Amino acid sequence: MGGLEKKKYERGSATNYITRNRARKKLQLSLPDFRRLCILKGIYPHEPKHKKKVNKGSTAARTFYLLKDIKFLLHEPIVNKFREYKVFVRKLRKAYGKSEWSTVDRLKDNKPSYKLDHIVKERYPTFVDALRDLDDALSMCFLFSTFPRSGKCHVQTIQLCRRLAVEFLNYVIVSRSLRKVFLSIKGIYYQAEVLGQPVTWITPYAFAHDHPTDVDYRVMATFTEFYTTLLGFVNFRLYQSLNLLYPPKIDGQADVELKPAEGKEYAMDSESYLEKLSALSASLARAVAPTHEDEVEMDEFPVEGETAEQLDARKKEQEALEKHKKLFEGLRFFLNREVPREPLAFIIRCFGGQVSWDKSLCIGATYDVSDPSITHQIVDRPRVERQVVGRYYLQPQWVFDSVNAKLCLPVADYFPGVLLPPHLSPFVTEQEGDYVPPEKLKLLAMQRGENPDEESEEEEEEEEEEEEEDDNDKEEEEEDESEKEEEMKLKKLEEQKTQSSKALPVKVTAGKVRLEDKQRLEQEQQSEEKRLAIMMMKKREKYLYKKIMFGKKRKVREANKLAAKRKAHDTAVKEEKKKSKKAR
Amino acid sequence: MAAPPRPLDDGPAFPRPPRHGDRKWNRVTSSKPRGLVVLFKMAAPAASPSFLGLGPASRDPAAVRRRSRGSRNRKKSWKRWAGPEAQLGREIGDFLEDVALQQRATGGLIAEQPDEGLFFVDTGNAEKDRRLNKGKEKPLHVDLVLQPDSKVPAPKNILAHQIPNGRKEKRRREFWRRQEEKGVLPRAERRLRARLQRGGVPPPEKAPEKGRSDPERGFYDIWAADNPLERALAGQDGWFLQQTKKQRVKRPARLRTKPSQVPAVEVIAAGGSYNPTFEDHQALLLRAHEVEVRKKRAEDKVERQLSIPAGTQLPTAATVFQEQCEGLLEESGDEEDGEPPPAQPEDAPKPAPRREKKTEQQRRREKEARALACRQRREKAARCRRQEIFRLRSLRRQVKRWEAELLRRRQARLAKCRAKDALPRRLGRLKYEDPSLEVQLSDELAESLRTLKPEGSVLRDRFKSLQKRNLIEPRERAKFKRRYRLKYVEKRAFREVT
Repeated sequence: MGGLEKKKYERGSATNYITRNRARKKLQLSLPDFRRLCILKGIYPHEPKHKKKVNKGSTAARTFYLLKDIKFLLHEPIVNKFREYKVFVRKLRKAYGKSEWSTVDRLKDNKPSYKLDHIVKERYPTFVDALRDLDDALSMCFLFSTFPRSGKCHVQTIQLCRRLAVEFLNYVIVSRSLRKVFLSIKGIYYQAEVLGQPVTWITPYAFAHDHPTDVDYRVMATFTEFYTTLLGFVNFRLYQSLNLLYPPKIDGQADVELKPAEGKEYAMDSESYLEKLSALSASLARAVAPTHEDEVEMDEFPVEGETAEQLDARKKEQEALEKHKKLFEGLRFFLNREVPREPLAFIIRCFGGQVSWDKSLCIGATYDVSDPSITHQIVDRPRVERQVVGRYYLQPQWVFDSVNAKLCLPVADYFPGVLLPPHLSPFVTEQEGDYVPPEKLKLLAMQRGENPDEESEEEEEEEEEEEEEDDNDKEEEEEDESEKEEEMKLKKLEEQKTQSSKALPVKVTAGKVRLEDKQRLEQEQQSEEKRLAIMMMKKREKYLYKKIMFGKKRKVREANKLAAKRKAHDTAVKEEKKKSKKAR
Repeated sequence: MAAPPRPLDDGPAFPRPPRHGDRKWNRVTSSKPRGLVVLFKMAAPAASPSFLGLGPASRDPAAVRRRSRGSRNRKKSWKRWAGPEAQLGREIGDFLEDVALQQRATGGLIAEQPDEGLFFVDTGNAEKDRRLNKGKEKPLHVDLVLQPDSKVPAPKNILAHQIPNGRKEKRRREFWRRQEEKGVLPRAERRLRARLQRGGVPPPEKAPEKGRSDPERGFYDIWAADNPLERALAGQDGWFLQQTKKQRVKRPARLRTKPSQVPAVEVIAAGGSYNPTFEDHQALLLRAHEVEVRKKRAEDKVERQLSIPAGTQLPTAATVFQEQCEGLLEESGDEEDGEPPPAQPEDAPKPAPRREKKTEQQRRREKEARALACRQRREKAARCRRQEIFRLRSLRRQVKRWEAELLRRRQARLAKCRAKDALPRRLGRLKYEDPSLEVQLSDELAESLRTLKPEGSVLRDRFKSLQKRNLIEPRERAKFKRRYRLKYVEKRAFREVT
């Protein structure tokens, strides 16, 4: 034997990882710079499997990076820029200290800066990769664009975020790719389908918000820095895919309309342009004028291995989608000043509606309140004075609920001052056996084309009547019901008799045909097979199967419980209503 | 101050020679309140040494021979600030200090002030006084407080009148003038002239490139075949580019996988709607309640562990005293355990059993027995091995079972791994903690969109999401540490007020 003594921690996982401080020293960067670099390059810390082996026997919790990742970072040109920037700051401080103003100017002119374009290309080699990671970028940009210009982050960043967010909204409007909206207590969730990829993002409400203190703004600003670059390139590509000009140009005639009539300047030219764009009311100019031949039906290429049923289903889905896209087509909305303008204008325009608002509220209003062609006016106050005939006055939730239900909901539930039906989350998909709230059931029925509303109303009325009767005595009614049933039976028998009496007097007793219910037989056979299969199962599999079935049953049981609870709640509410009615 | 303090108010700021009567008075009034006596004691040393007093202590100090100050055999006593020069120095120092004080207080020497600057006319008639002393009213206290403490003007900023590096620049100019006389020009000048001679047009100045966060910056199609990023390198030899480090290092495929499978934007549960259904809202409330209960339980646990268990008696002063006195006081009752513990005779070490020496025969027999046992064992093993051929089926079954067991273990391990992947990892000193659930109670729910009060913050939600997806490690805000303790000084003006 013999040989050199093997030292500890010089091979294996100890050499694969590197602590943060060592990595920082290897790159010769300060900790904030290192953190920034890691975020920009998409290098994240790792948790080693055996901490003690990596940490030279110590179990102290440390931040580890993969050594190979850090070696990869060594090649990054931005690292040099960071170092240059450090030197620049030092020189600048020195010049300030010596009050050499000409040196200060010269240094400021040559301030080292870097761009992140190559990192975007490196991290997202294809456009689809970028689209898949768009959720974060959008959420961050929408969030930063609502920040006040208060010095928490650069004003330039806020402006850039606003610009990119508005550009993306305009793209979604033009491509009509919005699918779901959800008003939560935290913010508004949107989901759009961009080139086949679902993209979800959240925007905060436009109200004044507090700045949480437990958030590292520097880290968030670094993420935003990268995501703005990414979103810019994605926006460019998206606009190109729709044959739109980038940066977006407002359509010629709309531009003329939007110009203030008076000689007064509204704002600086660049600013007013962004504001006009963010009004979301004007259509965008295309690079090539659109031709109407575009709307030719798509050719169908049946996918191999697809049955006719699947094809049919796909076609149906496609049709539904097309219909959904044109939900508000032909409708003209007017937004009162108390409703949130931007989300509503965005959603209405996404589904083909026309929208306007008060001229003093925002730039870009296209028609007045008094316009007779307005079909819907969105109002969020308990009572509307001076109503105009020929338009619906609705609460804003109608727009959101209609989008989620994929159809224009009946307006009666959404009149001003009416207690609104609950706003359901479109992101929840119920599995089989789950509890489905009655509101959703109603909605599903409506989507299927039935009209459960009237039925239910009638039912309700009936119920109310019944209940009133109930108050008198319940037993009688039960008897009544049984009597009614008996009467029905008798009637049926009589009818049969009359029919038979009307028929020929000759009595031929035909041989009884035993109808073989094929379906039922099939079912029976299937259930029999299933039972046999269960019997043939191995012990372990059987155990598993039983467990699964038990879980399913439990789910059903829970759903039933919830339904019962709901019923109790509803009846309680109804009773209260009734009492209040009686009190009146 | 109702007593007759005559000596105090007879002159504005001039020192007054001490008189004999003062001392007498001092002695007389020694039974008076203490403050008064102190005042006088302070007044007495204020007299300048140039005035001669009448007492035995107030002779000319220069004339008096100094008392020798102890031994001179140690360096310490040599260094004493003594001797006639020191005396002179002290006097000069006092004088200069006095002058500085006068300058600070009045802006110049009081002796040089005109009478108007020191006195005002007092006729005894308030009306008349006001007329005569117009412009000499006592300023308001607020104004006085705002005045600088010293009347000596602050030194002027020298840098404001100086050119930085003026002498160096001047020397450089001189140098280039002399060079010019010789016909040597600086490089920039030479290049300019050469360009003029060539008659070339200066290259057009490029517009400064827009920064990465400039709101006006432009974008391009980065995923196209010929994007500006790669245009410069297109069509060149790959090997050359790699060796000259013009081509970027390829991103490892390892980095393509995300560190967590959690979606970037987690949509809030259905109960978080601004107008939720009854059931969803209840479900969300239940979840929030459970979180709170868990928190409460942990808190209670700590409290329980720290609390004093029931039934224990807290020490009182008496018990503490008794405990401290334990063993100090002789007690008459405890005398029975004076005898030493009984010695145990069994504890004596036993003699080791004596070993008989084995005979030659015994050794041989043992050896043979060992060899026989070994041989038998070997034979048995061989026999067993031969018999195994008939156990082939059961063996195969065993192997199969073992393989199945291995597979099961592997799958379990994988499942465990996957479950662990969904959890946020431990990436630093701190553990990830879920943010508190955003919930509005039933009476907080808004009736319409207009009256909605948003709950929680999207910024915090995003930040926590980044932590949850293992993109950044959880950290706490760095605390500001002061290197040196702060020293608190009360400003004089402020002290006067309080």
